[in-house]
Amino acid sequence: MSLGLQNLKHIVVLMLENRSFDHMLGSLKAVDPRIDGITDQMSNPDTTGASVKAQPLAEFQGQLNPDPDHHFQAVDLQIFGGGTSAARVPTMQGFVKSYFNQRRDVGHSKKIMYYFKKDDLPVLTTLALEFAVFNRWFASIPGPTICNRAFAHYGTSFGRVDMNPFDIIEPFKSIYTRLVKATPKHTAKVYYYDTSSSTMEVVNLLQNQPELFGTYKQFLGDCDKGLLPDYSFVEPNYNDHEADDGEQVASDQHPDHDVQAGEYLIAEVYMRIKRNPKLWASTALLVVYDEHGGIYDHVVPPTCPPDKFTAAANSTGTGMEFKFDRLGVRVPAVLISPWIPKNTVVDRVFDHASIPATVTKFFLGDDAARSPRETNADVFVEPNVEPVDPQRNLLSLNTLRTDCPEFGV
Amino acid sequence: MTIIPVPRPSKKAMNPNRPVSALLLTQIQHLQHTERRLPLRYRTAIYTHAIRTEAEAARYIREVTEAIHQAHADAAAERANRGRGGQGRSKVKTKSRKHGKKK
Repeated sequence: MSLGLQNLKHIVVLMLENRSFDHMLGSLKAVDPRIDGITDQMSNPDTTGASVKAQPLAEFQGQLNPDPDHHFQAVDLQIFGGGTSAARVPTMQGFVKSYFNQRRDVGHSKKIMYYFKKDDLPVLTTLALEFAVFNRWFASIPGPTICNRAFAHYGTSFGRVDMNPFDIIEPFKSIYTRLVKATPKHTAKVYYYDTSSSTMEVVNLLQNQPELFGTYKQFLGDCDKGLLPDYSFVEPNYNDHEADDGEQVASDQHPDHDVQAGEYLIAEVYMRIKRNPKLWASTALLVVYDEHGGIYDHVVPPTCPPDKFTAAANSTGTGMEFKFDRLGVRVPAVLISPWIPKNTVVDRVFDHASIPATVTKFFLGDDAARSPRETNADVFVEPNVEPVDPQRNLLSLNTLRTDCPEFGV
Repeated sequence: MTIIPVPRPSKKAMNPNRPVSALLLTQIQHLQHTERRLPLRYRTAIYTHAIRTEAEAARYIREVTEAIHQAHADAAAERANRGRGGQGRSKVKTKSRKHGKKK
């Protein structure tokens, strides 16, 4: 029996933008060697052949401009270092070369190796050390935002590796549709920041099911009133804009947006849940990034069972088709709940298909109409069905923690 | 319990005149794709090819997002009216939006 799973009523996912694991959490290896972070021996060659070492010199804003390329073709270079033969092996040695392609400036290209010091990111690093940090959470595709976010909503990108609108292909359904159409009915919501920021899931979800959406203000209110749905997906603010209540700074952490604004958002989401004791005891919060944004990470993305779809060579830009049989670059991911032991490090492999996989298995038990990628994805919350495997259950404590951190927001 | 301070972003972080990123351009394209399917009375008069800054993007994003919600709300109101024995749109006071309304 797991008290954590028995109490769990809500799963909340906050998905930020475009930062790699090493860039954000790599510094934690110095604090806890179990965390597969960065060392000063890690390097990439620049275009002159000189070795460029990873350095803790990342800045909150103004450094990664232009936005590092993270389309499929560029990520292929980052992972494979430029190898194109059938026998090529992934080396993670192409990040500096890839960034050089954008500004043709050898000095600037080295900034792609920079990472944050632990104390630069007090929110994300504290949560990673206090709860469960994932050593092997990868983007679903070695490519950009829209297709990666699709995996979080649908468990597949329906064959897309790009940013174009896509159509839902039956029988696969979004996790929200699965929940709200289930018997008994479950509840689900996507909270975008406000209408000026909106959602990245426009063409299918917003266009056809606007009732699924709420604003970030509503999310905060729903936390206070104990009205959170079973499953919530929270989107950050994607742009700087004025609103009725003043200036709204983008909080998505997408380069070149300010990283501290995203830190504040993470802290606010966490504290809002924590300040409602009933909600805190019954919620698991996942903080995760959609993809690495072209920024250096040292872990080779593993291969995986292919999806039902294949992206043609002309859409990958590499001259090779892609069967969705390799994950994207590693991203930060932290699971938060007062039932998780402090300083948990998870080594199992996850990707964004793990999100609908987990939510489906926890709330619905199963759904036959799931993509091969989702069916094969691991879950980060075990189904509350006896017997629960204690080796896999992250919400394993028998008493609620009272030592969880508090942030001043 | 020690409270961990969380620094606010610097005042200089806010830049609504920042050029739109590839991500925002994509979001605009997706909204435009959707806007074309809306009835004419809900469409904006914003020329998306002229959007250059985040503030301009935000305005377009807001107008289309609100229009999508409004179009669905009006359709639901019509449906409810029909359910009550009404005759459809002629009986429903829809909240159509003015083209290019500046807020």
